[in-house]
Amino acid sequence: MNKDELTTIVAQMLRQMSGLSDEPPVKAADYTPTAPTPDFGKVDLRKQYLVENPANGAAFLSLKAKTPARIGVGRAGARYKTETMLRFRADHAAAQDSVFSLVPEEFYKKNNLVFVQTRCKDKDEYLTRPDLGRRFDEKNQQIIRQVGQGQRVLLVIGDGLSSAAVEANAIDCAAAIRQGLSASGITLGETLFIQYCRVGASDHIGDLTGCELVCMLVGERPGLVTSESMSAYITYKPHIGISESKRTVISNIHRQGTPALEAGAHIASLIPTMLAQKASGIDLRQEGMQ
Amino acid sequence: MSVQRLLSVGIDIGTTTTQLIFSRLTLENQASSFSVPQISITGKEVVFQSPVHFTPLLDARHIDAQAVRELVRQDYAAAGVAPAEVETGAVIITGETARKDNADAVLSMLAGLAGDFVVATAGPALESILAGKGAGCAELSRNRHRAVLNLDIGGGTTNMALFADGQVVDTGCLNVGGRLLRYNAAHEIDYLSPVLAPFCALQLGQRVGEEDLQPVAQLLAQVLEQALGLREQSSLPQFITDKNIALPGDFPLLCFSGGVADTLRGDLPWDSFGDLGVLLGREIRKSRLFEQTVVPAQQTIRATVIGAGSHSTELSGSTIFYRNMTFPLKNLPVIALTRAEEALSPALLSDKIMQKLARHPDEQVVLALRGESCTDFSALQRLGEGIAQGLRSQTALLIAARADIGKALGQTVACRLPETPLVALDGVPLDEGSYLDIGNPVAGGQALPVVIKTLILS
Repeated sequence: MNKDELTTIVAQMLRQMSGLSDEPPVKAADYTPTAPTPDFGKVDLRKQYLVENPANGAAFLSLKAKTPARIGVGRAGARYKTETMLRFRADHAAAQDSVFSLVPEEFYKKNNLVFVQTRCKDKDEYLTRPDLGRRFDEKNQQIIRQVGQGQRVLLVIGDGLSSAAVEANAIDCAAAIRQGLSASGITLGETLFIQYCRVGASDHIGDLTGCELVCMLVGERPGLVTSESMSAYITYKPHIGISESKRTVISNIHRQGTPALEAGAHIASLIPTMLAQKASGIDLRQEGMQ
Repeated sequence: MSVQRLLSVGIDIGTTTTQLIFSRLTLENQASSFSVPQISITGKEVVFQSPVHFTPLLDARHIDAQAVRELVRQDYAAAGVAPAEVETGAVIITGETARKDNADAVLSMLAGLAGDFVVATAGPALESILAGKGAGCAELSRNRHRAVLNLDIGGGTTNMALFADGQVVDTGCLNVGGRLLRYNAAHEIDYLSPVLAPFCALQLGQRVGEEDLQPVAQLLAQVLEQALGLREQSSLPQFITDKNIALPGDFPLLCFSGGVADTLRGDLPWDSFGDLGVLLGREIRKSRLFEQTVVPAQQTIRATVIGAGSHSTELSGSTIFYRNMTFPLKNLPVIALTRAEEALSPALLSDKIMQKLARHPDEQVVLALRGESCTDFSALQRLGEGIAQGLRSQTALLIAARADIGKALGQTVACRLPETPLVALDGVPLDEGSYLDIGNPVAGGQALPVVIKTLILS
């Protein structure tokens, strides 16, 4: 393209833009905004049934109410429908996000949690070095000693593998634990928030504080069903080197599992039993059926 | 995984027959050891069935309580069961018999024999439900994903219960039964129910043959057709005891239990039992009911007693709260909160609760609520405060939620009213007007057995 041609084109464009051109402007297809795509992540899979012309859709739905599994999703040719595929990717993304994102500062500030951090520098190190997620440096050890001083039972909240789980459940669960324990004459002091936390951090905390029992609320490794599932790991006299079998676990604390409040109430009734028996995990004899 | 077993008794004192069964309920924790417990009834096995006794009567309106007690005592002895071993169950006086003048006397006569936590009848709705469950209709409706209607046709009444997906949807009761008319060996009528009087010209003492009774049986079969909307209504209203049943547009599967169900094959002589039973069975067989899909019942004449023994007891959720309470608790009337009332501020909620309490002066009541919206700690505090304020006049606080919040709510209320006896259950759906019985704690105290006595179905 030489200079003259370029000049002609530019002149023509300027004429068109100013509306002086006698040629009709080239027009793109009309843009009509469609309804916004619904947030697939919000649809309750237990109530969604996508098979077309089913023999008995109502019956399938009543079975679906019992499982969040991706069944009864229909198909497009040999593949998922677009909606199912997008939902799968949305759930996968939510799971990844909850692993890789940090619990925001606002969360522990607003709820008066005392912030500490394990020896991990960042998420990458946290994910690749589980050993560092169980220990604290000198500065953090100091804070933990102060918080734990004189506490018989120490409640700590760790981000673990799901920040979303902690944000969704930890505060309600902790409040229910606090309320339930107060009825048994156990008053909790300050609660720690531990960033880059592994379950084994309880053991270092036990050694640092001498607390009789440490109850840790921690985000579970997320799955495709929920990224908001939290566990409680309760250890009587935790210390570095204690066997994993000495921990009592309450898992699946989330909206569709055990609700955070009810789990907290259960934990609050479990802790006095542990203190009385001086045991947790497989050493704990629970009344009734296990 | 360890299991616990409960021995349950069912005693059905009907218009015609009295029966007893013992059933063994198996309780298991179905949760993994990394979760909160979840105790469920995982098995129901009938371990003893008494013979089908004729109900001993003093006269047409009175049950011979002493003789019933003796029958029950003999059945216990035959089964080798001591009353103290029985942990749960139900005694029900069904059909026309329930209107007999001395029903209460009969129940109190059995009270000592039947174990500590055994509940008494609460009207035709419960009978219909137990008969339907005993006949296997709840299970069938869940397995086939079809509505199933059970007709338990006994001596005095027909108890109807409609099930969908394992749940009761509606019940109804009619004065249609095989023994509304009875005759002696000489075929002379010796009993004629007042219900039949307006519809037939037969007289007491009259000698009758098959041809005289067939029209009466046909009339009763037609009443059933009317009740199910298969025939235009005419005589139906006079036969309804409390209410008729409402059926869905898609006609349900039909199932027949009760003594008359055994005569449906129609191969018995018409006068086998000295009543209308065989003829009624034949007429039902010929009626429009049999143009519908009829499924066989798992139990016929024993459906109600098996329902009472095996299906009356349910379990609460397994994270519940109770303190300073003596069990069992019996016949607790239910006051229910609506969803909107649950969302009220503590002050307004407690007012509402006190208004409802005023309808039950000097009575121990159960406060029923849903609790689904109670998902954060501040909502829990609001609800707990309102309940504690509203119920504070009660000597013991009894709360039952549907959603899994029993323990958390119990602890919330408990710390506001220290020392007051308190029970907070969950997993127990209750409606206003029902009654609740609560048995001794099971599974090491983790759950409570309950019997929900439904009077009204919403």
